[in-house]
Amino acid sequence: MKEKIYKKEIRITIIFTVLLLLTGHSASIFVLFPGLQQGTLWGFPIQYIIPILLGWFGIAAVCLAMTLVCNKFDDEMAEYVKTLAPETDTSTENTQK
Amino acid sequence: MPAEYALNNVWIGLGMVIILFAIFYAVGYFSSRKTASDEDFYAAGFSIGPVTNGLGMAATWASLATFLGVIALILRLQVPFVYLWIQWAISIPLLTLLYGTSLRRMKAFTPASFIRQRYGKPSTIVIVCWMILIMIMYALGQMVGLGQAFELLFGVPYNIAIIVAGLATVGFITIGGMYGATYNAAFQMVVMTIAMIVPMGAIMKAMGSSGWWFPPLAYGDMVPDMIKNIPTFFDMKYDFRWYFALIPAFTLGPVALPHLAMKVFTSSSVKSARWAVVWFALFLGLLFSGTYVVGFAGNYFTATTGRIIEKADQTILILNVFYNPTLVAAFVMGGAIAAGLSTIGGNLMAIAGLVGSDLLGIIAPNMESAKKMKWGYAALGLGGLAAVLMAFNPPRFLVTSILWAFGLLATTATPAILLGVWWKEANKLALIISSMVCGIIFIVISPHVLPSICVGSGLVAALGMSGGMVTIPLSFAMFIILSIAFNRMPALKAYAPTLADKQVIDRIHGWGPDYDESRYNGIKWPLIISAVCVAVFIWGLQPW
Repeated sequence: MKEKIYKKEIRITIIFTVLLLLTGHSASIFVLFPGLQQGTLWGFPIQYIIPILLGWFGIAAVCLAMTLVCNKFDDEMAEYVKTLAPETDTSTENTQK
Repeated sequence: MPAEYALNNVWIGLGMVIILFAIFYAVGYFSSRKTASDEDFYAAGFSIGPVTNGLGMAATWASLATFLGVIALILRLQVPFVYLWIQWAISIPLLTLLYGTSLRRMKAFTPASFIRQRYGKPSTIVIVCWMILIMIMYALGQMVGLGQAFELLFGVPYNIAIIVAGLATVGFITIGGMYGATYNAAFQMVVMTIAMIVPMGAIMKAMGSSGWWFPPLAYGDMVPDMIKNIPTFFDMKYDFRWYFALIPAFTLGPVALPHLAMKVFTSSSVKSARWAVVWFALFLGLLFSGTYVVGFAGNYFTATTGRIIEKADQTILILNVFYNPTLVAAFVMGGAIAAGLSTIGGNLMAIAGLVGSDLLGIIAPNMESAKKMKWGYAALGLGGLAAVLMAFNPPRFLVTSILWAFGLLATTATPAILLGVWWKEANKLALIISSMVCGIIFIVISPHVLPSICVGSGLVAALGMSGGMVTIPLSFAMFIILSIAFNRMPALKAYAPTLADKQVIDRIHGWGPDYDESRYNGIKWPLIISAVCVAVFIWGLQPW
């Protein structure tokens, strides 16, 4: 079980790191693929407004997903730690709500 | 600056500043009554809820540059600087994800508290010294902006403005400690958001936009006129390397900023810290989008009216003086001042924590908590004084010193924190060598110290982007490779991670008593990361 939790922690961290980098640096994608620099949204060039929207609502959405997933993961970790020997380390805050 | 852009009634500006400072001092005073221990002073008793903390994070991060320097650079660089600015918003989420909540579990006051537990005393002294230098550079940028805002408000010489602003600021931060800094920052975020957004509605209406009702996103109808007047405004202008360089130089730097990390540490729990980040993203996105519209409006103003904004740092103030009543313009300046104060508050609290908690924890480990707190107060005051003194002769753009400092931080401290949290092989001696060597190289190859030795040219070099693209990957690669080598040399056994060092890593990830040697301990992925870093390092060395 602990191997599964460990892999999950690494997976969650990598996925959300990549998502945050993509939302924060989406302008790079328009530079890398200039063909995407076409069209408008709300009157703005797409390569201008999309990075702004992703840099605001996109990041907020990723943070919301990250909070839900990571907080649930903490519960799983806390459940696992409870199954260990009774001298559970009280310095961690896994059980804090 | 042309006289037509000065506030035409100094007393209104003075009244606005007095009201704001009275509120800040009141919040500081009432907060100080809660401060009874070093946990209260440095971390607000680990008790701040998610909304207040989200506001505080956003305010601490937003800084006076959001009102002044950023808009100046959008005026000069146009849209590429908007892209540069957008990516700051991922700093605190990344920080929280990659190490903030882990360090929150150990109830750290600053990231250096972790460095001390993980790497020991000599490494901590190296990192703390870098961090203090960077925090002073950061506070310097804010002081310069405060001086400019006071200069514009009261028409006093810049040097006098700096002294008055500096003393008033350090005063209320010293009174309140982290409780005061946090509650004040939350209030300041509300003030600065209103000051940024609402007056812009009136300005956009005067400019003829139908989207005046929501300035941050509804100015699309001004785009055809903008393209007609400045055809290159929306051009990406630079090649892919310019945008890629933002990641090492600017994304990875703020990840290690102690005053941002401390906002995560003040949370009432690990889960609360994560919720605070959601609020942070929403609040900061609103303010930042307001900044982009001011940058747009500044360009539009110069293109359509033919007027020249000589001091680009003062664009938002000039637009408000030009289009809005004096009272509104004074309030905007108050918002700008609030932005500067919230960040200086965070900067000085971080300096206090680094000196009062981290350095004294090493030099005088048995010192009483109350005495350490007094040293923390002294460090806070001295940090503020240093920033004031340096602000007398500031760099041309006030953001320059801040952005340069981010590159230095990413070079010297980010690898130590990230690898320390995620990799048991991270070696103490390798940290000291890579941090010092790469930090010195960053200083040497930036144009500020030895202009003849420089990687890159022009603004990318001045901002630390080209230097960072060289030294940050070099620092990661050097740290990883030296760690692997040193850990296998019997002569350097004293520097290898001990069992206790490794146990810290499992514990802060939440594993409790379950220690597993193989966890966070591979070398395959670190070597792959090193190879990628070397490739980026070589790419950064190519002429640009």
